Amino acid sequence: GGGAEGGGGSGSREAVERLVREHPVVVFMKGSPAQPLCGFSNAVVQILRLHGVEDYRAHDVLQDPDLRQGIKNYSNWPTIPQVYLNGEFVGGCDILLQMHQNGDLVEELKKLGIRSALLDAEKDQEKK
Amino acid sequence: PLSLSLCSSPSPMRAPLLAAAGAAMGGTGGPLARTIRAKLTAALQPSHLEVRDDSPRHGGPPGAETHFGVLVVSGLFAGLSPLQRHRLVHEALRAELAGPLHALQVTARTPEQWQSDPRNPPAPPCLGGSKKEKRRG
Repeated sequence: GGGAEGGGGSGSREAVERLVREHPVVVFMKGSPAQPLCGFSNAVVQILRLHGVEDYRAHDVLQDPDLRQGIKNYSNWPTIPQVYLNGEFVGGCDILLQMHQNGDLVEELKKLGIRSALLDAEKDQEKK
Repeated sequence: PLSLSLCSSPSPMRAPLLAAAGAAMGGTGGPLARTIRAKLTAALQPSHLEVRDDSPRHGGPPGAETHFGVLVVSGLFAGLSPLQRHRLVHEALRAELAGPLHALQVTARTPEQWQSDPRNPPAPPCLGGSKKEKRRG
């Protein structure tokens, strides 16, 4: 494969590895959760918000070209956003949306010890 | 079916509708659209394929061909996770993704899944991107 994996740079394999292991939920995106700069990145932020996941690590690749290329090398995935759960690459916006729609995301969050807000929403529904 | 635009383009253009119509009819589109169609057909032997040029909805000029959405229905996806399916699509378009193809939305279904859910989700609305961006994302 191509692409430079400079020793120690912000896009190196080691640097990316550290970032994806920083937190159970790590997102590489364009812009920030407060201000996404891309519709696909925004979709990821909105989905996480629906599940009540507000505490996660988000990295703005527009601020760091080395990281932007490094994350693509690391996951062998050509586009941004990229979502990592428990250090493992899960996919981009399309896949996260699919997981959200079919219930897989609730399950994956549960494995990380995160209770999806949607479960509470369902419980409220049942009470009515 | 035409994909619905969820945001308003920066400038009023008829081009998005024409581009969408072209993609939906499957016959026309620019050179990159045709390349994407040819490569996906060769690699995945789809029973159904839609190639949608979303570039006009991201502020690019007509014919920019930078943002695409593809719907691929193929028996080759059977037994594969969504991640594995998307990787197959990416592999088929490796050269384009290393070049002019800036963004790619992927919907990958088996023929059985397509029969039970024949919808092609539209791309999320553009939020402007980086004004400084010149290279692909």
